[in-house]
Amino acid sequence: MHSKSVRLENITKVFRDPQSGQRVTAVDDVSFEIAPGELVTLLGPSGCGKTTVLRMLSGFEAPTSGRILIGELDVTDVPPNKRDTAMVFQSYGLFPHMNVFDNVAYGLKLRRVPRPALEEKVTRFLEMVGLSTLAKRPPSRLSGGQQQRVALVRSLIVEPAVLLLDEPLSNLDALLREQMRVEIRRLQRSLSTTAMYVTHDRVEAMSLSDRIIVMKAGKIVQIGTPGEIYRDPVDTFVAGFVGKVAFFPCTTRSIASGLCRVEVRGRNFDVPRWSEDLKDGDEAVVMCRPESLSLGAPGEGIEDGVVTTNVYLGNSVESWVKSDQGDVLVQIDNPDMKKIRKEGESVSLTFQPELAKVLVGFERLPKN
Amino acid sequence: MFTRRRVYSFVLAVALVALAEGWIFSNVRGEFRSIMSASRMRSVAVTMGAFPRRAEVAEIFAWLERVNRQDAQYRIAWIDGIPAAGEALPAAGDADLVRLYRDNASDPEFVKGFDNVAYEETYRGAEDRDVGGALRALIFAPAVDSPKGEGVLLFAFDLAEQRSFERLLVVLLGVVFCVAVLVLWQIQFSRDPIVGFAITGLFLMSLIFVAYPLFESVRLSFVQDGKLTLQIWRSILTSRGYQAALKGSIRLGFWTATFSTLTGFLFAFVCSRTSVRFRPFIAAMGTLPVISPPFSLTLSVILLLGNNGLLTRLLGITRFSIYGLHGLVLVQTMGMFPIAFLTLSGVLDGIDSTFEDAALNLSAGRWKTFTSITLPLVFPGLLSAWLLVFTNSLADFANPLILSGNFRVLSLESYLEVTGMNRLGHGAALSLLLLMPTLSAFLAQRFWVGRRSYVTVTGKPTGRITELTTPAVRFALLSLICLVVVFLLSLYGTIVAGCFVKNWGIDYSFSLANIGEALTRGRDALFDTVTLAAVATPLAGVVAMIAAMVIVRRTFHGKRLLEMLIMTPFALPGTLVGISYILAFNKPPLILVGTAAIIVINYAIRELPVGVEGGVASLRQIDPAIEEAATDLGADSATVFRTIVLPLVRPAFLSSLSYTFVRSMTAVSAVIFLISARWYHLTVLIYNFSENLRFGLASVLSTVLIVIVFGVFGLMRLLIRKNENLVRSIGA
Repeated sequence: MHSKSVRLENITKVFRDPQSGQRVTAVDDVSFEIAPGELVTLLGPSGCGKTTVLRMLSGFEAPTSGRILIGELDVTDVPPNKRDTAMVFQSYGLFPHMNVFDNVAYGLKLRRVPRPALEEKVTRFLEMVGLSTLAKRPPSRLSGGQQQRVALVRSLIVEPAVLLLDEPLSNLDALLREQMRVEIRRLQRSLSTTAMYVTHDRVEAMSLSDRIIVMKAGKIVQIGTPGEIYRDPVDTFVAGFVGKVAFFPCTTRSIASGLCRVEVRGRNFDVPRWSEDLKDGDEAVVMCRPESLSLGAPGEGIEDGVVTTNVYLGNSVESWVKSDQGDVLVQIDNPDMKKIRKEGESVSLTFQPELAKVLVGFERLPKN
Repeated sequence: MFTRRRVYSFVLAVALVALAEGWIFSNVRGEFRSIMSASRMRSVAVTMGAFPRRAEVAEIFAWLERVNRQDAQYRIAWIDGIPAAGEALPAAGDADLVRLYRDNASDPEFVKGFDNVAYEETYRGAEDRDVGGALRALIFAPAVDSPKGEGVLLFAFDLAEQRSFERLLVVLLGVVFCVAVLVLWQIQFSRDPIVGFAITGLFLMSLIFVAYPLFESVRLSFVQDGKLTLQIWRSILTSRGYQAALKGSIRLGFWTATFSTLTGFLFAFVCSRTSVRFRPFIAAMGTLPVISPPFSLTLSVILLLGNNGLLTRLLGITRFSIYGLHGLVLVQTMGMFPIAFLTLSGVLDGIDSTFEDAALNLSAGRWKTFTSITLPLVFPGLLSAWLLVFTNSLADFANPLILSGNFRVLSLESYLEVTGMNRLGHGAALSLLLLMPTLSAFLAQRFWVGRRSYVTVTGKPTGRITELTTPAVRFALLSLICLVVVFLLSLYGTIVAGCFVKNWGIDYSFSLANIGEALTRGRDALFDTVTLAAVATPLAGVVAMIAAMVIVRRTFHGKRLLEMLIMTPFALPGTLVGISYILAFNKPPLILVGTAAIIVINYAIRELPVGVEGGVASLRQIDPAIEEAATDLGADSATVFRTIVLPLVRPAFLSSLSYTFVRSMTAVSAVIFLISARWYHLTVLIYNFSENLRFGLASVLSTVLIVIVFGVFGLMRLLIRKNENLVRSIGA
């Protein structure tokens, strides 16, 4: 297997609206690199330009400016059929007039692979995803998951330098989605293919990726491992997009020696992570994940509120607390060993400073 | 895309092409000039040999006059003696040449010429001179044994032929250069050169074969004797005859459209709103005439009701003539009510009959339900059907050709202008005049009525039909339908019967003589017709699918324009297309009249819109990701088209193929202008036979045509049915 690196340099894509003739910048000065064999996810809300990036990488769109390199080769002007990429489409794009075998063999036929070798390879790849018994079926007689596997294998069999996946799981139900996630990860690892995955589903991104690129309005907001993105988001948008979160207004007191002292409701906390733009005395917010919050008696914590709903999940309980900062989710692990506040009970919120982060500003978040 | 390297290599390649073309041009021109010059020298030598030796001056004068009168490629003058520089010796022959000599006696070129002649050598003039208003090549030749012993024969050769050849060469190389530049541009700057070529090709095709002929016919309707004038239009718009023809066309269209819509509605209503048992049969009868060849219905109507017709004689009718408006309305209604039937049954099937159920439920009577619910809902459909038939009736040419008698219609009038009086400009103007009502009806149907449709796609199966008619009404409706069907079948039967009768109208004894004769005399035409249709069919089919793919899947500048150009021929009357083609293609740079190419192109261009619409409709239902997946796996556009698009749109492709084939086999209106002695068309032969009252022969050929047409349609139905599994799976 020959996996290659991918590099995007200052890619910008401007579309022209065919009706109004207005120019719309879909992708704005995007640069990143994917190491050979790495799986990187482009994560962002719909319309953020992530699919456009993928389509430029596959060659279906030409960037307005910037360069795309696969390995050491500049492929910016190379048409999609001459690029060493293979794409798995959201709607799979299976050829309805060919059976499973011919679908998978299509790329090999174009590469003029001799018949015996072709048959051997197609059979081997179909076995890898457990579809060898369905080789003669037309795609219309396959289940959604099976269709997805055919699409995946059809792309992988040509041994692309880069595998591109465009929201491949969005047409599947939740259970199947989980299975396919594991399957994709397994195949990509075993073939050590470089892969770029596009999704707006944060769970998918978290569970699949070596690294995640978060995009917003055509720009990259943050690049990092799932852990980094979750623990150490650059701003409130990323924090809210990759997981449930609560923000509490605060004022920075002093930033020194790896700790940022903040004042929340008259009490000081030392938080190990903070936004670099912050200076002493700024108005800021403390970002807390549900698992770093806990509930206490009213007046004890940084914010008072009332428990509105408890959701029992077995390994945890999710308590929704209505407060001045909106509805805050508190996750209580090992609930059977802890005291659970009743719905309607007045409580206060406390947080673990070592798991929190101080962020600049505050913007309206998507409800989640 | 526009990197410096690419721009450089593009410029370099263009320069190379230009250089190569320049080299070819100068070589070919030089070669041609030397050939021309050699042939001139030969004629000079021949003429010199014929010069009367040792003859009297008078005899020489007579000879000169004879030579000049021959209207050859050259003029000639004779100078008595060899003049020294500036010397004006007596000269005779062509007056312009003599004057030229007098004016230029001291011109160095002439002096040089005379010097050469003094050594008895022929001298080719180095520069061309104006003789009699045009540049001509001069040659000085010795006139041996002149009265004075020596003399000069001055030749001036016509250069028109050489000029026109060189102009043709320039046009040809210019076109090659433009194409080369376009090709190089695509290769250097397009991500997908194949699609670039396809788009360029489609544009060239539609500009050359749609826009250019139309433009020519509009232009030539304003030109008379080489001058821009409104004369043609004035004469057409003021002439009583033409006004009568316009009125005739509209009257014919009105009545045909009205009767066809009524008949079509009758059939459609019975098929989709009653529980009559033979509905499939009625539907089949309602579609049958749509694919019947031209002349076939006219022919049988004449056989039945003509002056010597079977019924005319049997019933002893004397004061009745089928020729004229009545006959035309009858024949056109029989031929065109299927258009209304198909439109209206689509509309009726699309309107949920629960509306009617609801009305009946609210205790409205059946008649009340029909008038207050069904009719208003169908009204846009009725209007649309009426307009469609109206357009078709106006554009119809085949039926009036045989059956119009003294009744005048525009399509026929424009044909007579062109073939009878050779007034192409008038013909063009008349068919443009025909375009006005046709186009406005077409546009009204498309953009006004088409949008006010109440057809709803509910997706709910409407299996049960509420009976909207009482048995008595049903019986009445069925009787009417039976009447139409029996008449229709008897028309077809008459044609078949016509094959086996010795001489229809006079001698009804059984005979096979007609079949033998018709097949012998029609063999070549039949062969031509099938060949031309067979060539045009795959061409139109493939081009239609390529155009559909480009229109649906690509965005490019001028897409709307291209779409419009491709769809235009659909709305054009055939006579206009035919006249436009002879106007545009009987002169340089594209001389196609008389070739098979012009007929094939005409078929392809005229049937393209239907194929494109079918292709576009079926491509729109196919997920673009399917094609992108193929591209992504390494297939170039041509491979994607061949292995993915074509198989997926196969039903549309097949029906486009069969449609083109059948329409080409049964074409009349445009092709009648384009046929030649070499390439003939079966329908025109049928017309000729009917004109000469050889109805037996015409019947045989019509029957052959009907058999071929039905055979092709049957074959297509068979092929498409096999494909239905596929069609279903694409939707999934």
